[in-house]
Amino acid sequence: MTDINFTELFLTGMLTYGPSALGVALLLGALGLPVPGTLFVLAAGAFVRQGVIDGPTAALLAVVGATAGDSASYAVGRFAGGWVQSRFGQSSAWQSARQTFDRRGGLAVYLTRFLLTPLAIPTNLIAGGSSYAFLKFLTYDLAGEITWVALFGTLGYVFGTQWELVSEFISNFSGLLVGIAALAVGIYLLVRQVHHSRAAVASTPPVQ
Amino acid sequence: MAQSTVSGSRRGKYLTIGLIVLGVLLVVFFGLRAVHSFVRMRQSGLHPGTTNVELIRGWMTVPYISRAYGVPEEYLFEQLGIPPEGNRKKSLGQLNREYDLGGREAVLRAVQQAILKFQADHPPPPERGQ
Repeated sequence: MTDINFTELFLTGMLTYGPSALGVALLLGALGLPVPGTLFVLAAGAFVRQGVIDGPTAALLAVVGATAGDSASYAVGRFAGGWVQSRFGQSSAWQSARQTFDRRGGLAVYLTRFLLTPLAIPTNLIAGGSSYAFLKFLTYDLAGEITWVALFGTLGYVFGTQWELVSEFISNFSGLLVGIAALAVGIYLLVRQVHHSRAAVASTPPVQ
Repeated sequence: MAQSTVSGSRRGKYLTIGLIVLGVLLVVFFGLRAVHSFVRMRQSGLHPGTTNVELIRGWMTVPYISRAYGVPEEYLFEQLGIPPEGNRKKSLGQLNREYDLGGREAVLRAVQQAILKFQADHPPPPERGQ
């Protein structure tokens, strides 16, 4: 069995081919390949500190790569959305989901770029599938990716050779945030269901 | 109509229970891991400029290690017993596979020992004012 893996391949690639390897890695990650993007951005920050790669070029290629990948997964959602629309487009649930995303989608796109990163690809697909305006998506996406690269690139730069430990903590913390989000949505739905059932009981006329 | 409403509310209940169970599992799993990694971070002290040889990894190239640890490239290649030509862009893992250097751990140990030896033979000059 070979001991090579994609994470190591891209880290070595960054050392030998510079920031372009970072851009390609983030592009593939945004397309859904299991590439640890946050780890690469942290590593790039550390490499900038060590003088191995150029900071501004790395930041630019990172944002371009990630945004291109996000746009591609948005496009996948848009094409797949045609099928979903033809099947569920008239249903009230789909219409309601679409309206909700139209109202709050920007925030979802922005936050999933750097805070709830495991939800980034599903968000891209939903944005494309619900015909969320591409220009709006791109604006929030760009803002989120710039925040991501600036935040984690700076952390990598600050913590230097200790970036692996920082990456491990961030990865676990991100999973924890997704868990908290799922729990919060679950509790919200539960409270709403309890309210609805109480209201239904109250509005039922008493049996004579 | 009434039947579809009933099946819809049942689906909603399943979704709610599923989300709560998933949320609890994720919070417990990642919460414990986050605490564990936070403790490790605290214990390591997070010294940004540290050049601890324990941090050498199989994905690193010889020129990168040379730069990060201030040890000449030629010296590291010599210690590994391989020529620098054509090997500058290869990781330690790749070099191990191509030159059969005795396994990944053996290569990492060889590089660590070479760096420690070089640093012992070439101690940094004393800082001014000391």
